[in-house]
Amino acid sequence: MNAPIPAHWFQILLSLADEDRHGLRIMNDVLERTNGQMKLWPGMLYRNLAKLAVDGLVVEIETPAGAESGGGRPRFYRITPAGRRACAAEAVRMAGFVEAARRKRLLKA
Amino acid sequence: MPRPWWVSAIARLYPREYRERLGDDLVDAMLACVARERRGGVWPLLTGVRLLVDALTTFLPGTVRSAPSTGDSLMQSLIADLRHAIRMLRRAPLFSVLIVATLALAIGANTAIFSVVDAVLLRSLPYAQPERLVTIYEGIGSTMTAGFSAPDLMAFRDRVRSYDGLAAFRNAEFELSGVDQPERIHVARISASLMDVLGVAPALGRAFTNAEDTGGQLVAILSNGFWQRKFGADPSIVGRSVSLDRRSYTVVGVMPAGFRFPSPGPQLNNVPADVYVPISFTRIELNGFGMMYNNSVIGRLHAGVTAEHADAEARTIATRIFDEVYPAGLRENGFPQLIATVTRMQEDIVGNVRRLLVVLLAAVGVLLLIACADIACLMLTRAAARAREMAIRTALGAGRAPVMRLVLVETGLLAALGGAAGLGLAWTLQRLFLTSISESVPRAEAATLDGRVVVFTALASIGAALVCGLLPAFESSRRQSSGMLKESGRASTASARERRIFGVLVATQFACAVVLLASGALLVRSFARLMATDPGFRGDRVIAASTSLPATGYPTAASIRSFYATLLERLGAVPGVTAAGAATDLPLTVRERRAFTVEHPPAGVDGSGTIANDWVTGHYFEALGARIIRGRALAPSDSQTSEAVVVINETLARQYFHGDEPVNRRVAWGGARNHGPWMRVVGVIGDIKQAGLAKPTEPQTWQPWAQVPDAAVANNPTGIFRSLQLVVRSSVPPTSLVPAIRAEVRRLDPALPITGVQTLEEVVGASAASQRFNATLLGAFAGVALLLAALGIGGVLAISVSRRTQEIGIRLALGARAGDVLGMVVRQGMTLVLGGLAIGLPAAYASTRVLRSLLFDVTAHDPVSFVAATAVLCAVALAACAAPALRASRVDPITALRND
Repeated sequence: MNAPIPAHWFQILLSLADEDRHGLRIMNDVLERTNGQMKLWPGMLYRNLAKLAVDGLVVEIETPAGAESGGGRPRFYRITPAGRRACAAEAVRMAGFVEAARRKRLLKA
Repeated sequence: MPRPWWVSAIARLYPREYRERLGDDLVDAMLACVARERRGGVWPLLTGVRLLVDALTTFLPGTVRSAPSTGDSLMQSLIADLRHAIRMLRRAPLFSVLIVATLALAIGANTAIFSVVDAVLLRSLPYAQPERLVTIYEGIGSTMTAGFSAPDLMAFRDRVRSYDGLAAFRNAEFELSGVDQPERIHVARISASLMDVLGVAPALGRAFTNAEDTGGQLVAILSNGFWQRKFGADPSIVGRSVSLDRRSYTVVGVMPAGFRFPSPGPQLNNVPADVYVPISFTRIELNGFGMMYNNSVIGRLHAGVTAEHADAEARTIATRIFDEVYPAGLRENGFPQLIATVTRMQEDIVGNVRRLLVVLLAAVGVLLLIACADIACLMLTRAAARAREMAIRTALGAGRAPVMRLVLVETGLLAALGGAAGLGLAWTLQRLFLTSISESVPRAEAATLDGRVVVFTALASIGAALVCGLLPAFESSRRQSSGMLKESGRASTASARERRIFGVLVATQFACAVVLLASGALLVRSFARLMATDPGFRGDRVIAASTSLPATGYPTAASIRSFYATLLERLGAVPGVTAAGAATDLPLTVRERRAFTVEHPPAGVDGSGTIANDWVTGHYFEALGARIIRGRALAPSDSQTSEAVVVINETLARQYFHGDEPVNRRVAWGGARNHGPWMRVVGVIGDIKQAGLAKPTEPQTWQPWAQVPDAAVANNPTGIFRSLQLVVRSSVPPTSLVPAIRAEVRRLDPALPITGVQTLEEVVGASAASQRFNATLLGAFAGVALLLAALGIGGVLAISVSRRTQEIGIRLALGARAGDVLGMVVRQGMTLVLGGLAIGLPAAYASTRVLRSLLFDVTAHDPVSFVAATAVLCAVALAACAAPALRASRVDPITALRND
């Protein structure tokens, strides 16, 4: 089983799970999904994207035609199969905790 | 989306690879963050700080995995803490204002003093490679330090090897005419090499050439201030002429702004000049062996040569000059051995004020400490009052660190506000401070509130925040949540631990306060002693003014004598004038020191030595109100044709005649074997201070100015006999005579300026100015320290009483009388005060030693000052204890008990 990954890595990978996105959209997606709880900052985001790329969990791809943002050509990122596995493993791990909470009747079934 | 400049600025902080690879993505993301945070109600400033931190953490190695989440939460909590702190400050505005004002006062005082210390002691002189500049003094015998005489300088320059260059300068006063109102201005006669030695150059025109120096050419360089003041900064001034001492000098240059030379500070030639002229030694000066030791000499050492090496060389060479160059007559007549010493120029200029400035800086530092202790007490009290809030935070899972952080953020915010206010206050304090010290402290005018000073203020504020905040932070975080939550809503009884902490803080304050108070008392007492010294004359209703007759208008002794005789006669006839006289120097500022010998000294007395002398004319002693002890004063009948006479002071009579009758004995200038003509002593005058109130009275003679030889009156190179100080005693307020004195001078010579118009009381005041300044400043610091300490103990007792209301109620209910309760509270307070004294008095005893050189006629351990300081402190402490004690004694037992 994969080692646990940091919470913000999980969120970034989760953002990319259904579609390729550029940095700004990852930021907004994470913010929305976490109800504003997880704020990514530019330096933090790009530093971690670089790190994820080094670990082979994401790749940078050619900017799709027509995807313009703010006048420039933003860089897009795509999740790799390894990234997908790491993200899923983390989700399973978290689901295990949720299941445990449910068994202890902390949550409604 | 508009792009604020600071976003672009922060984007530029990212490593190059980021910027190149990401391009607009980075800025877009930053702008999105700004918009996101603004929607969340966050100040753009805070967002900016967050973005800045975010950009900078990009550089941190190894933080990639863990830093983002923790860094983010740390930042978020800091922001939350800050918001919380602002809310707390708003909720207790009086509390906040009190703390900020206290800190502003203490930090402001520190900043103001530091800015002067920085300018004077820490920054190097404004010359090229200032560490290579030295000042060289001559010494005659082992005791007297003086400047160089011209022949000694020439001989010295031919023999030394340590220097790239040597230069001499000396102050002079010239009459400036051809302008709207003739005036006397400060001039420096300088060697042509001076600019090179200092490594400065005129802003306009050029420096002097060697030919101009040796040839005695009438050329001048103007100081920048003088050029602006008198010539409206006219750039075409170079090549035009100015009239100095009624001779026409060609202006060859203008110095840059900020060039202030000679610098105040050294013992001679310390008056910044308006105009520079070549030093051009005269023939008389160049042959003046054994006299006129009045030229300051500076040198630029060869690279790598130390001042110590140069000093050793100078001492050797001085001995050689004495042996090889001095006339045999001087050496055989017992003229003392020559010495030459080398001092670093910076040390020569600021050495005298280092002690004072360090004392002042230490004093304001102690003041800040006292203020911090006050604030720590207040914060602790509030921390105790908020114990429940803290307990809830802890119970909800906040660790010890976040609670500490919260308190530190609060004190940090207070300190930042205090520091900012202090910086503003420092600006005002610095102006006040500078106007009172710029005369006596060299280079103080360079003090500004620049980056270095702002950094100092920031550090002082951070230090203050830590000192004020650490203890309360620690205390808040160590409270056990369980105990606190169970307590009722009311503040609890102070624990023994808390009382101990308060006790230590208050005792520390009083220990610090007593050190400042004892120092202030010493200086105040020293100043009082100084003002109580008898200067030897009655300064009330006496006005002084000076005139100097330029050689061009007054070439002969006869013309000079006639001018002053007529002037004094006419001044004597002015209504309200009771006596008018004149002297070469006023009391307290006598410059002349001469070798002197007594005919047939009493057995066992060395009849020769160095004494002070003044030449006087008219009704000088009457005008001064001097006491005539024996014989008579000098009189107008003492003329060139009558017997040469002098009067002496009591000190001279005592030292050189012991118990003998000095009147009718004879004395002469010079040594025992080779002296001038005998002069008869006709009277003894009560001692008059020569060199300042604080200096011991020296033996002194007064000689009739009328008996100075004609040649000396007309041709003395220093012009001492051409410039007389007029002294006029009146039966009316002395300043009302000024127009009459001006009118009489103008009647005789419309072009002649009058300077130095002052009452003799002002002369006395000027002599005590530095002591007055020291006493005022340290006295004020001591007062503020006392006030802060009183606030501290008053506050702590008030809190203690309010916490113990219930306990006091029980005591009263059980039969204690109001007086017992009063005594109990006062005892509690005074125990702390005495504890402070037990530490503070020995500390004061140890530290006042550094004041020794600033004191007059008072020892550094003067018991009166220490007792007075202790008494004042105890009295103020008692008064501060009284209010809470009275409140305690009036507690109504029923109310107190019912309130539980």
